[in-house]
Amino acid sequence: MDAFLFVAAAVLAALFSNAFAGTERRLKWIGSYERGAAPTGVGPGVAKPTPGPEAVVTPSLGAPAGAKAFPPHPDKASADISGEDVMELHARKTVPFLDARRTSVYRDGHIAGARPFSVWESDVDEKVKAYFAEGTDQSAPIVVYCSGGNCEDSHMLAEKLYLVGFDNVLIYKDGYPDWIQRGLPVTKGSEP
Amino acid sequence: MRGRLASEWLTVRVQFVLAAFFVLAGIAKIADPPGFAHEIHNYGLVPGKLVNAMALILPWLEVITGVGLFLGIARRSAARLLGILLIVFIVALGINLARKKPVDCGCFGTAKVQKTDAERLKDMKLVILRDVGLLLLAGQILYATKREERI
Repeated sequence: MDAFLFVAAAVLAALFSNAFAGTERRLKWIGSYERGAAPTGVGPGVAKPTPGPEAVVTPSLGAPAGAKAFPPHPDKASADISGEDVMELHARKTVPFLDARRTSVYRDGHIAGARPFSVWESDVDEKVKAYFAEGTDQSAPIVVYCSGGNCEDSHMLAEKLYLVGFDNVLIYKDGYPDWIQRGLPVTKGSEP
Repeated sequence: MRGRLASEWLTVRVQFVLAAFFVLAGIAKIADPPGFAHEIHNYGLVPGKLVNAMALILPWLEVITGVGLFLGIARRSAARLLGILLIVFIVALGINLARKKPVDCGCFGTAKVQKTDAERLKDMKLVILRDVGLLLLAGQILYATKREERI
């Protein structure tokens, strides 16, 4: 009976604490870390928004003549790419970079131009929906990264993007530590 | 020997140590539920849909039960509950150790320092040893308070 009271008190405390937590600390009670857990209201079967002229990014835009092609891969959520490929895509300045790490880590330093998309925070599905609503070309390359090594965050984010229709998500497999090791441009703070 | 093991003097100190450990561990995790959810997910043992609920409730259970033990409120139930949690942690780490899958313990929230796989595997063994030690402390409380068992 006493043990039950301890558990009940813990559930109540968790309910209150989560209800009053900020975006970075809040969690949805039901996790969505499994395959097929697409954000609701977007994805196959839902009308795609009409892309605005500024929002459209074609696969070749910004790529120098003879540059490596990164074709879409509709059969799988993501494809791994090397640091050299990431450097080339970054140099095009038109390829979106999404940072799947925690927002607090993002603020400490991220790839210049990358946007925060932490899969562990409660607003990730809203961010994916908003990104979808921007009308970005869904077959254009998107680079997603986290901390490299065993980090699965970028794969989880890639899965979410794939399930709403983005079929050219490229994962920087060695992630941010490799970017730092290469001495490439980083930005600190909340802005890309 | 049995008398010393069951002495109130020893039991109170054991209660304090066990309670302090769980309260501190719980507070560290309450500070960052998404980080703890990440750690739970890394263990690969909890279904994705339950990860968040576990990350939200477990730290509070540690803190509330720890405070209960510290204040001597239902200390047998508190020690039993913490013992069960320790067994769960030991089994979870043991399974991943057997799989040779390095995971951060997550006991005190997200690790600040990036470790190599070999370092993680070594840490997992040490954490299991520590948890076995804490389990012995919970056992001491249960042994010393047998008479408090309600019928």
